[in-house]
Amino acid sequence: MQIISRQVKDKPLTVIIEYPEYNETAAGLIRKISSMDIHFNAVDEGRQIRIDLADVYYIENVDRKLFIYTQKNVYRYDSSMTELEKITPDTDLVRISRTCIINTGHLKEIRQVKNSHLEAVLDNDEMLIVSRKYLKDIKRVFMRE
Amino acid sequence: MKKILKDTCILAALMILSVFTISIIWSGVTDEIKLVLQLFALAFLISAFNYLLDEYVSLSIIISYIVKYFAITALVMLFGFIAGWFYPANFWMAFIYVGVVLILAYFIDDLRIKKDISYINKRIREQHDTAGS
Repeated sequence: MQIISRQVKDKPLTVIIEYPEYNETAAGLIRKISSMDIHFNAVDEGRQIRIDLADVYYIENVDRKLFIYTQKNVYRYDSSMTELEKITPDTDLVRISRTCIINTGHLKEIRQVKNSHLEAVLDNDEMLIVSRKYLKDIKRVFMRE
Repeated sequence: MKKILKDTCILAALMILSVFTISIIWSGVTDEIKLVLQLFALAFLISAFNYLLDEYVSLSIIISYIVKYFAITALVMLFGFIAGWFYPANFWMAFIYVGVVLILAYFIDDLRIKKDISYINKRIREQHDTAGS
């Protein structure tokens, strides 16, 4: 793969992907770059904050309120789980339980605790419970990459 | 192979339903048709219960299967009494029928989970290796 980067003044950031034939690698690359453009307008102590998708570790629904968790902070996000899934198809975000969506880009490991619960370990060592029902959805994210 | 088996089951169910629909129109509901329709109704109830339990209750794998065992057995017994499958003398048979199915389901489920976890973790390691190199 050849990477060419150059500065072009007075133009927005532009990425051109050239491929000899459209395959999984090209599709994955396009998907990754497209998802970099996705961001969320969250609220932190009354202030609007823009959070890029890449910075999101997980999103949790607590009492019908959504909270975005980044590496160290938590922000309130005004939306619903269903709405969120609608605006982020083909990204690294995947539902792991009825109330939680994780960014698989920050997933370190999935483990089973002695025939009991499944846990997702994130790269900041935070652990989240994974519902068995959603394991195949997580697998699907890794299968398309 | 898994997809072929799944498609076979769906196709067989559709064939049974379409053949029986024609038979019902042609000659009414016979005892055999009634039994198959009852089995479909019971399968629907069990699937709905299974879905609701997996969606709304977070339990460990073993506890979840124990809860399913007793709840589904109760459902089968209730349905069996209403449909006339069981008599007071042989109602305990439901425990055996459900037990055999659930033990098989548990082992298949456990195997699938271990396989999926192993695949996901392997892909994560590969991604980290690629990013690191």
